[in-house]
Amino acid sequence: MYQGRSTLIGKIALWVVILIAVSWAIFPFYWAIVTSFKQPGVIMTTPSLVPWLQFTPTLANWNDEFTQRWPEISRALSNSLIVSTGATAIAITLGTMAGYGLARFRFRRWKNKDMTMWFLSQRFLPPMATAIPFFLVMKFLNLLDTQLALILVNATFTMPFAVLTLRDVFKELPKEMEESAWVDGASHFQAFFRIALPLAAPAIAAAAVICFAFSWNEFLFALILTYRNAQPITVVIAGVEHTQGVQFWFVATRLLIAILPPALLALTAQRYIVRGLTFGAVKG
Amino acid sequence: MPERSRVKYLFVLPGIIWVLCFTIFPLLYSLRLAFFHARLGKSETFIWLENFRRALFDDYRFWNSMGVTVFFVVCSVVCTVSLGLALALLFNRPLRGQRLFRALFTTPLFTAPIALGYLGLTIFHEQVGAVNTVLFALGIEHPPAWFSSIWPARIAIVLVDIWQWTPFCFLVLLAGLQALPDEIYEAAWLDTSSSWDIFRYITLPLLTPVLFTVSILRMVEAFKMLDIPFSMTSGGPGAATQTYSFYIYLTGLRNFNAGYASALAYILLFVMLLISLSFFNRLRQLYE
Repeated sequence: MYQGRSTLIGKIALWVVILIAVSWAIFPFYWAIVTSFKQPGVIMTTPSLVPWLQFTPTLANWNDEFTQRWPEISRALSNSLIVSTGATAIAITLGTMAGYGLARFRFRRWKNKDMTMWFLSQRFLPPMATAIPFFLVMKFLNLLDTQLALILVNATFTMPFAVLTLRDVFKELPKEMEESAWVDGASHFQAFFRIALPLAAPAIAAAAVICFAFSWNEFLFALILTYRNAQPITVVIAGVEHTQGVQFWFVATRLLIAILPPALLALTAQRYIVRGLTFGAVKG
Repeated sequence: MPERSRVKYLFVLPGIIWVLCFTIFPLLYSLRLAFFHARLGKSETFIWLENFRRALFDDYRFWNSMGVTVFFVVCSVVCTVSLGLALALLFNRPLRGQRLFRALFTTPLFTAPIALGYLGLTIFHEQVGAVNTVLFALGIEHPPAWFSSIWPARIAIVLVDIWQWTPFCFLVLLAGLQALPDEIYEAAWLDTSSSWDIFRYITLPLLTPVLFTVSILRMVEAFKMLDIPFSMTSGGPGAATQTYSFYIYLTGLRNFNAGYASALAYILLFVMLLISLSFFNRLRQLYE
């Protein structure tokens, strides 16, 4: 609990620090937005930060992005959307069940704690350690450059989030309702679907949002496993460099397109972010 | 609670089996590869521990990338956790617009690191980047050439990483602070009027478990760092920002030396294992 003296100077100092923190947080976004409205020629000659004052904003870059380069972008976006949705669906389905199982039942042969650690350990595994075998296996299965390959990979990497977060959520739900349902003759699955699932729905939705955002932002495996048709947006933006040096205007528009969907979506999961990102170890 | 029912296994087994298939199987596969001289698309020869020997005793790039990674991990963990703590303490008070601030600090977390790296490329550009524009305006005539000298390049990457992950530490630590019981503070304010004492003797000890969790999670993530150096500096200048994961990527998937890359991956896995074992028990208690 805070119990400070609220002198005028203290208040001003506080707001100055807050202002600095906030501008630090939004500056890269500001820079990207401003750059996306600069004339290509202007960008490389004169440094500038303030539209209208230092340069005349133009819609040309956005126009290009949505007309000339749209086929490439739209394909990448739809790949990202399909991959993230598919991966999220798998991760959430299996994750909800496992989370519920770990929260509600006691296992003897393997302890609950050990199974929980099993899922957590997946997050400690450096993805690079599985990248090469994944590449070889997908090549063997003829799944290179398919959305399915990326769905499988992303489902694997996001599942621990789902399991651990939802385990924690189910633990906090009162179990009396399910117990009385069991007494009334409902099966475990009926109790799960009819009682626990609806109660946990908001948390499940939030976990889904987090899984979706992480799948969307995943780059390493997308780079390794796709080369043309199934390239998601993260790989396509990696193409902005090297062709003709850094094309600022190009980078800016494209990055904003790539960044915005998960970032905006994540705002809807605000309440569960802390819990999700710490795997339920810290309650948000 | 009925415990004899076998139905309960149906809940947990699909998830466990899935993870088993998609991580343990690839790991076994690459364990095998690590003992072979295997280039993608060519024949394999069994060479015992040669790959490991080469990495540890005969490969300066291995030690270079290890050093770079450790530097990034240390800088990133120390800076993000301490900045996050400072911000959390600052925001842990009745404040108008707190929800807005929290929302604002959530967005960096969900920004694709790869995109952020490219954005960093334009922000730290030597002539017309945002940072040097500001430095020029402040009257500094020779601001750092961010991407052509070793330490500025490293610092630029660390800065981007800090930008992305400080909000994580902030949000988690703020949640930790807000969960601390008010009564203790009310009692403590009767004994002292120094907010430093309150922080040192009350807040910090109570917050230790959360600080521990945050640091561990940050460390684990930082060890995997690849996207930002990949996009921002391509590991350069030279190999000055080539992280360990990046080096494995280059070895295995650019030079197609799958055997050696697998050995390198196993060394990383071993390091992570050592780190996680050292705090495994404490972490396990968090999931009671």
